[in-house]
Amino acid sequence: MAAAGALVAELPPADVLIDRSARTRFRLGFDRAMSWLTPLLFLVAIVPILDMVYYISRKVVPTLTWNIITSTNPYQTDALGVPLQTTFYLIGLSTALAVAFGLLGGIATAELLPERWANVARTSANLLVGTPSIIIGYLGYLAFVLYFGWGLVFLSGAVTLSFFMTPYVFRTADLAFSSIPRHIREAALGNGAAPSQYILRVGLPIAFPQILTGVFLAMAIGIGETAPLVITMEPGVLVPSNVFSPAIVLTEVIWENFTSGEPLLVLKAFQAAFLLLVIVLALNVIVRVISARYQKRLEGLYQ
Amino acid sequence: MSGEGPVGNGPILSVDHLTVTAKGKTLLDDISLDFASNSLTAVVGPSGCGKTTLVRSLNRMTELTPGLRVKGAVNYLGQNIYDRSVNPVLVRRRIGMVFQRPTVFPNSIYENAAFGLRLVHEEEGKIDIAVRHALTRAGLWDEVKDDLERPALSLSGGQQQRLCIARALAVRPRVLLLDEPTSALDPGSTQRLEETMEHLKEEMVLVLVTHNVGQAARVSDRVAFLHTGHLVEMGETEEILERPKDPLTQQFITGRFP
Ligand SMILES: Nc1ncnc2c1ncn2[C@@H]1O[C@H](COP(=O)(O)OP(=O)(O)OP(=O)(O)O)[C@@H](O)[C@H]1O
Ligand SMILES: [Mg+2]
Repeated sequence: MAAAGALVAELPPADVLIDRSARTRFRLGFDRAMSWLTPLLFLVAIVPILDMVYYISRKVVPTLTWNIITSTNPYQTDALGVPLQTTFYLIGLSTALAVAFGLLGGIATAELLPERWANVARTSANLLVGTPSIIIGYLGYLAFVLYFGWGLVFLSGAVTLSFFMTPYVFRTADLAFSSIPRHIREAALGNGAAPSQYILRVGLPIAFPQILTGVFLAMAIGIGETAPLVITMEPGVLVPSNVFSPAIVLTEVIWENFTSGEPLLVLKAFQAAFLLLVIVLALNVIVRVISARYQKRLEGLYQ
Repeated sequence: MSGEGPVGNGPILSVDHLTVTAKGKTLLDDISLDFASNSLTAVVGPSGCGKTTLVRSLNRMTELTPGLRVKGAVNYLGQNIYDRSVNPVLVRRRIGMVFQRPTVFPNSIYENAAFGLRLVHEEEGKIDIAVRHALTRAGLWDEVKDDLERPALSLSGGQQQRLCIARALAVRPRVLLLDEPTSALDPGSTQRLEETMEHLKEEMVLVLVTHNVGQAARVSDRVAFLHTGHLVEMGETEEILERPKDPLTQQFITGRFP
């Protein structure tokens, strides 16, 4: 008991809990600096974007009429109905292809392939994302326009663009499935689910919000692409009547007219840019609303 | 072989010279044992001795861990489940499993309980009956019967674990494997689960992994004691817990284990 008394007497003051080492002080200072720097950097990023949106909107909104947006009359030179509709069709087809291949590939990579092949697939997807779009466009030109002989048509553009979008879907599908808690997967398989049943009945509903986000991201990126389409499609005057028609999309309208110096054509480019902004914004809002709704069901799954 | 009656007087489930290795390391070493019908066998032993590996090898869950290699046989109704012609999915539909942590899926209570039946495309009417039966046997029915559409994730941990048992029971397995099912539960839920196990063992083979000697004493008929991948001793619960033959077993049950 005497020993215990001595121990109590020798106890250091309570400030042993306070760490004054140089390293800790540096870390705390760094944290504080960062907490100021982050909003600052956010401003640096957001201000030019807002400025651009404001600049385009101010220029375009007063000039917009319903007719400009909807008219597909080839003789109305200031109308955007043709590229607007064509953009939707083109993105629709590219997205369908990207989802088909990206989803299958991503799920196979996460669930079915042995680790080695899975890593090969992941590396390829990363390479594809890192490849400049002009090169993908050129490869698409060689493959679809020349080798398959489709010509400079809607289908060549759509398929080329889908190559550009697929890796985004692939990566989110792979990631979404790989991050499903292991015990959920084991519970499904341990209760007699075949791998395909696990994927469809348990995996997909859990991975859905994340995959959806990836699909919309791919769409937003695809909508903004110009280079691969300029190389693989001949600009059309009409909304394509079939997949072997020439076709023109909104980004190409900007590309063709922006530097023309002709005030009416420059305005047309600005109007096209404005429509693109609205579409991308709408995509973002939609994906947020839908995935928030699905995410709610998953509360408590990742405790 | 058709039908699912026990073969002659043989056991429903038995393990024959089972060895499990992972990258040269032996996790289970030449284990042979029978699991008696209509009884609960507790698998006990210190942490890391291979209990989980053993129960996972009883329905080929070992295959889900890359790198594990299984030698020897696990016989279900006389059929070695590791035979090349055996489909592991069908094995797991007859030999169900409940895990250490609750593992409910993010949908309704009803859909969780109906999971295994949906996999085999059972008729709606039969699913209703089977879900109710399974929830009742798992001791959860009274608590959830008024709102089966509730998200399963909104249940308490103990309720979730009983739902997992109901999910496994709904397909009427002949064998149920439970890997430390109460280790994440409070004493009340643990007691309820132990009562559930006592009822269940009258109609099926139960294999319960537990590190808790008290629990083995309360619910099991037989005890298998594992140590570093070896089956040290197996027998009637009373025998093993009160008159263990091996000094290792003695040390373990008296709590004097490192
Ligand atoms: N995939 C693996 N690769 C290599 N070693 C493994 C693997 N899985 C398990 N082991 C080892 O096998 C031994 C037995 O593991 P197991 O999980 O079966 O033990 P346990 O008895 O269930 O332990 P606990 O009581 O802690 O759950 C441990 O030493 C563990 O480290
Ligand atoms: Mg274990």
